[in-house]
Amino acid sequence: MRKTQWWRPELGLAAVVLALGGFVVVGTLDVSAAASRLGIGPRFFPMLVGGSMIVIGLFYVVDVLRGGRGDPEESEDIDAEAPTDWRSVGLVSGIFLAFTAVLEVLGWVIAASLLFFGLSLALGAEHKVRAAVVGVVLGVVTYLLFVKGLDVTLPGGLLQGVI
Amino acid sequence: MDSLQLLLDGFAGALTPVNLMYALIGVTLGTLVGVLPGIGPAMTVALLLPVTFSVPPTSAFIMFAGIYYGGMYGGSTTSILLNTPGESSSMITALEGNKMARRGRAAQALATAAIGSFVAGTIATALLVVAAPAVVSFAISFGPEDYFALAILAFTAVSSVLSRSVVRGLASLGFGLVIGLIGIDQQTGQARLTLGIAQLLDGVDVVVVAVGLFALGEALYVASRLRHSLPEVVPVGRAWMGRADWRRSWLPWLRGTALGFPFGALPGGGAEIPTFLSYAAEKRLARGVAKEEYGKGAIEGVAGPEAANNASAAGTLVPLLTLGLPTSATAAILLAAFQQYGLQPGPQLFDHNPALVWGMIASLFIGNTMLLVLNLPLAPLWARVLRIPRPYLYAGIVLFAALGVYALNGSVVDLVVLFLLGLLGYAMRRFGLPVAPAVIGMILGPMAEIQLRRALAIGAGDVSVLVRSPIAVVLLLLALAALLTPLVRRAAARPGRKTVDAPDDRSEG
Repeated sequence: MRKTQWWRPELGLAAVVLALGGFVVVGTLDVSAAASRLGIGPRFFPMLVGGSMIVIGLFYVVDVLRGGRGDPEESEDIDAEAPTDWRSVGLVSGIFLAFTAVLEVLGWVIAASLLFFGLSLALGAEHKVRAAVVGVVLGVVTYLLFVKGLDVTLPGGLLQGVI
Repeated sequence: MDSLQLLLDGFAGALTPVNLMYALIGVTLGTLVGVLPGIGPAMTVALLLPVTFSVPPTSAFIMFAGIYYGGMYGGSTTSILLNTPGESSSMITALEGNKMARRGRAAQALATAAIGSFVAGTIATALLVVAAPAVVSFAISFGPEDYFALAILAFTAVSSVLSRSVVRGLASLGFGLVIGLIGIDQQTGQARLTLGIAQLLDGVDVVVVAVGLFALGEALYVASRLRHSLPEVVPVGRAWMGRADWRRSWLPWLRGTALGFPFGALPGGGAEIPTFLSYAAEKRLARGVAKEEYGKGAIEGVAGPEAANNASAAGTLVPLLTLGLPTSATAAILLAAFQQYGLQPGPQLFDHNPALVWGMIASLFIGNTMLLVLNLPLAPLWARVLRIPRPYLYAGIVLFAALGVYALNGSVVDLVVLFLLGLLGYAMRRFGLPVAPAVIGMILGPMAEIQLRRALAIGAGDVSVLVRSPIAVVLLLLALAALLTPLVRRAAARPGRKTVDAPDDRSEG
């Protein structure tokens, strides 16, 4: 929470729009334009998009500074009045990134079970044993269904050959 | 009639036992996932995309047709039985539908929604059969400058119509366009914005974008402000309705269909505007009992908007199949599904793959009928799905999101991209940016670029080539109008007069 009067969290998102516009312009500078003499090369469209993003970003910043605001999206399970629960957001993010890190080592069944278990606890499930059981069942069933049934490739990991 | 013959061939292909089974799986999965709170039709289609990976194209699209209509059905059940508005297209249904349910008329509300969707879906699909060949024969003469203008129109329309704030709609579109730039340039083979990551050379898959923005974004958003009490689900038995309900429903169904189909076919039209228009029209036309009940649960207020919703879903398929132009997030993902099979919707698709296109259209009729049969008796089951404890529900959504995305390329990089897009989706929800323009921007952006470069190459670098054809001029003017109309409206509304903020009279397309 910043105390400064003019600061609003939405400015952060507007800044992302601006920065992304700049990134597109700078990031495509190394793309050589000599590809075609007729018409335009591979840099023209990114320049157009990047330039537009910068203009849109500026309008966005002005809009937020002048008091404009987007309405937070309504949804079935959202309490629009509640303050942001950063702890839950952090936990969910951390668990997902951890899952990403261990997926190919542990394999789908174990990693997905842990993902489900962790996320349901982070989101407030009270019954730990039940969450664990549902997680393992989901991990095994999705693996069998998608790998054996639908020929989708998922990492076997530690259980390679066991399942 | 030529298209009638082709449609009959399509039915012959779709009515084989195997394809009927795929259609049944499609509608069942579509409804089941669509019923889940927090999951709209677009996410339903994106999450179920991996299921079709090992299925041959014709069967896959028959399954998709089922998923598409099933997801629409599922959404209306959610909004009738739970009072909180979910995806915007079935928000209007919740207004009267949930009040009906609370007064003990849940069975009738679900019945009029299901039968109305069937009626609207069948009529609108028939309109699609008539309209598609007409649009194809018109579009066959389109040059690259026309396609570019069409894309611009879709961009501006979807950004300004779906958001109360044009700048937020455009910001969302911009995110999509930037994501669409990532990867190898298709004409010169040069890498753009890949940051040296080899896995990004092929670009970011639309499934990753859709699942990230919708599923993971939603899960993070829910985590940030979870409602801790479970919302109340109205108990319901088998859906049915009596003679009086039929008498009150049939006209709203037809009026809703008439509104829904054309709006669905327009760029940026979507389902929001026609459902709202239908609601308002039924309110104005209400007489007697209906007038008394309006606002307390009138069946007309469910029948009309639900029909409009499904008719617009069929309408969306007209520009998608004939021009390759997605006008909603769901359509953008369907387009991606076509591309996954190396197919490009457009006039040529009808020439080269008539069996696939007409098989899909035929299966829309079949799926629609299956949904009616499935939904009337299964209402109590769907009501039970709504009671899944939220921690399990969202943990499960993330698990399936990860599964779908990893299954695309078997790459962990995709999961990291998924997470970053989830954060973006969270921020967009938090600050009220519509997600659909981003999805449409990322899928249509690369196509707009190709057409632009093709047009300029033909014109030898002369920019005026873009306005050489009258069609392109008209489309670009419409695009400008779409962008300026909200500003003009706001300026006009400023002097004191309080205006309704729902989009009530936008027809600029």
